[in-house]
Amino acid sequence: MSSTTAERAAAPDTAPPSEPSYLTAENTVASWLLTKDHKRIALLFFVSITFFFFVGGAAATLMRLNLATPEGLLQPSVYNRMFTMHGIIMVWFFLIPSIPTTFGNFFVPLMIGARDLAFPRVNLGSWYVFNLSGAVVLYSLIMGGADTGWTFYTPLSTSYANGYVFAAAMAVFINGFSTIMTSLNFIVTIHRMRAPGMTWMRLPLFIWATYAVSVVMLTATPVLAMDTFLLAVERFIGVGVFDPNLGGDPILWQHMFWFYSHPAVYIMILPAMGVASEIIPCYARRPIFGYAGMTVALMAIAILSFFVWAHHMFVAGISIYAGVVFSLLTFFVAVPSAIKVFNWTVSLHKGRISFDAPMLYALGFVLLFTIGGITGLMLATLGVDVDVHDTYFVIAHFHYIMVGATVSAFFGALHYWWPKMTGRLYPEMWARFAAILTYVGFNLTFFPQFILGYLGMPRRWYTYPAEWQSWNLLSSAGASILAVAYVLPLLYLGWSLFWGRKAGANPWRATGLEWSTPSPPPTHNFERTPVVTAIPYCYDPEHDSFVTQEGARYAG
Amino acid sequence: MTIGPEIDPKRAGALPFVLAWAVMLMLAGVSLWTAFPGVGVWAPVVQYGIAALQTAILFLLFMRLKGPPSLKWVFAVSGFFWLLFLYGLSMTDYTNRQNWPPIYYPNGPSFQNSQRGP
Amino acid sequence: MPDSVALRPEIQYANLEQQGDTAQLGMWVFLVNETLFFGALIFIYFMYRMTYPHEFAEAAQDAVLWCGTVNLVLLLTSSLTMVLAINSAAQGERRQMIRWLIATAALGIAFLLVKGYEYHLDFQSKVVPVVNFETKAGEGRARQLFWVFYWVGTGLHAIHLIIGVGLVLYMLLWRIRQGKITAVYYAPLEVVGIYWSFVDVVWLFLYPSIYLVGRS
Repeated sequence: MSSTTAERAAAPDTAPPSEPSYLTAENTVASWLLTKDHKRIALLFFVSITFFFFVGGAAATLMRLNLATPEGLLQPSVYNRMFTMHGIIMVWFFLIPSIPTTFGNFFVPLMIGARDLAFPRVNLGSWYVFNLSGAVVLYSLIMGGADTGWTFYTPLSTSYANGYVFAAAMAVFINGFSTIMTSLNFIVTIHRMRAPGMTWMRLPLFIWATYAVSVVMLTATPVLAMDTFLLAVERFIGVGVFDPNLGGDPILWQHMFWFYSHPAVYIMILPAMGVASEIIPCYARRPIFGYAGMTVALMAIAILSFFVWAHHMFVAGISIYAGVVFSLLTFFVAVPSAIKVFNWTVSLHKGRISFDAPMLYALGFVLLFTIGGITGLMLATLGVDVDVHDTYFVIAHFHYIMVGATVSAFFGALHYWWPKMTGRLYPEMWARFAAILTYVGFNLTFFPQFILGYLGMPRRWYTYPAEWQSWNLLSSAGASILAVAYVLPLLYLGWSLFWGRKAGANPWRATGLEWSTPSPPPTHNFERTPVVTAIPYCYDPEHDSFVTQEGARYAG
Repeated sequence: MTIGPEIDPKRAGALPFVLAWAVMLMLAGVSLWTAFPGVGVWAPVVQYGIAALQTAILFLLFMRLKGPPSLKWVFAVSGFFWLLFLYGLSMTDYTNRQNWPPIYYPNGPSFQNSQRGP
Repeated sequence: MPDSVALRPEIQYANLEQQGDTAQLGMWVFLVNETLFFGALIFIYFMYRMTYPHEFAEAAQDAVLWCGTVNLVLLLTSSLTMVLAINSAAQGERRQMIRWLIATAALGIAFLLVKGYEYHLDFQSKVVPVVNFETKAGEGRARQLFWVFYWVGTGLHAIHLIIGVGLVLYMLLWRIRQGKITAVYYAPLEVVGIYWSFVDVVWLFLYPSIYLVGRS
């Protein structure tokens, strides 16, 4: 178990490619900015969301600095703007697009054996729309930021807030177009562009997860679009449908907001589940346990995610009856989620496990997702939620899911597919170090927040009683470790771009179609259209052999 | 799913579409009539029912919901299906909430809003 | 001006048939999104109409019924001409296709003209919130909720229709002029047709919500 996977005998390379790789095919700036190649668009998205990840991270850094002492560092109004912009940027400009637009864009066609997505121009348009919305949110940030919280609750956002709420809401509105364009593309591609033999039950789970998330994006985003549009109208002209002065219902905003934003949590976590389902079988050298159950669970989560939204609103003034209904429905979502966790765990049983960096990230994902999920059930319980609502308990809970789980999976995917995307291997030891550091830093940052929340520290406050300082200081210290763990990959992955060892076509000896083409892939992905004859994840731990989806067998 | 010869774009004449158009106009006339005295509280039901019927005609004939690619109808239906989630589950709140409809002053206690930001 | 050019499918498709079917499916998937977009607006409308039935009935009496009805007829007719244009395209009757498409665009523009005139009448009867709005005695402030819905709903619908007219003109002035719409491959026209009829569907639901309330 000491040797890394890359040091083992790699699967034999395919014949040298006859076409130049997508990276070197053309070199002008215009060839990148006007490209229709899904792989290049994935990298463009990667650059954009990495930028926003660090902008949002900078806001978080200021918040944690401020909370290190009860006296604080920032003015209260500045703190309000920081947590708002942190939320808006991290949710809409990093987490929601993160895995779908980068790894989804790059690997959906590769994994189903297509030459491109169905609508390449729509795909490129998605990137431009994303950047347009990014420019609007940066305008809002630079001019002073919004101060309503990322949830834009009315009537605070429509009447009372003083920040650039209109610009922030429009940024979210425009961002929705990008989300819709990408999800539409994925749905149609997965329906129509699969290679011969790639039946639905032979699709890799990452494709299933991308499909599920696209369905959620497609059906949830328009409701938010209408909601933010009406908010912008009300903010802009001063009269609107959420205005209690006219008999309007401010909670209606929350209903429609959470009709989107609760499924949005699953938009963030579903692709991460797909990534874990790719990585875990590959490094346990074992077929995934319960493939059919996994697919059903993914689609069940996608549908059930629409039945639970009002559990964010238990104390907002909705009827008790609605609270009971939504509390019950929320428990149902736990079932498919638990199925997935159990299946990942059982997939390790009797495997030939190697703890490479992607595997460390994936295992971290499963652990943090489990903690986040179980605390989620605590919050779904009506009585408990009334107690801990709007405290740091909630903050800790959703950061375990959204940061702990999703960002871990994002880095796991980045390491796992890095050789395929760039043709270079990353330095394994550094990567393992970063993976462990992420895990340590994350738990140090957010576990104390569970305790703080249970003690009663409200979220969004810029100060707190002095006796809570030790927990807050621990959290801030953990955040600095987490920051290092997030910057490290940028450095060594950047290094490996130029000096990393060259990767073969299939360095991890994995079974998916994406590994049957050279690294980095040629412009049109495959020399010939692949014909699929096998289910994914045909690993044999006993003989250390595997069968690719094209049916080629490789002995150990 | 196969497409019927009478609406297959390769073969169809104008007649079935003109007929459908005439039926839709007649339905619109009925809808308009229900708005005036005569139908009472059922008017909205009839009106939205007619809208749904006209939608079905448009979907099936004019947008050719049947025929390749075979999965169109799944998507055509799913949008409306998802709306049921929004409409149905929201009603658990609005039909049971205390203080809803709110205590409502027809001409409003006009609160002064705080100064509005940009 | 060529009547037709030989088309090849884009690199990611096996043949033109797959490309055309995929484009159609793409439009249907997009309509899921549009259904929910307008559905959310109508959800708000239903909610408030349930809550303030009298205010809504009184407010809606100021809506210009004949404009809405004429527009409904115009849109239904434009769907007919659109589908006849697609049939002509599929049957290779180029001249008829162009004629029907011009009729479609003209009906769309006629809708917008009537709508514009209606907005003018609305302004005169003081139902434009903020700009020119009169709260009539005894009618209640919830009246404005109806008119916000009216402006948002018809405004967004008009934007969709303008996009539709733009797409038809793009087909006429670009795709068809280049000879890229033929009896073999007319999928782009079909996609535009699906979108066009959907904009029609939106009006089918806006019409009873706006114009048929409170008439009895």
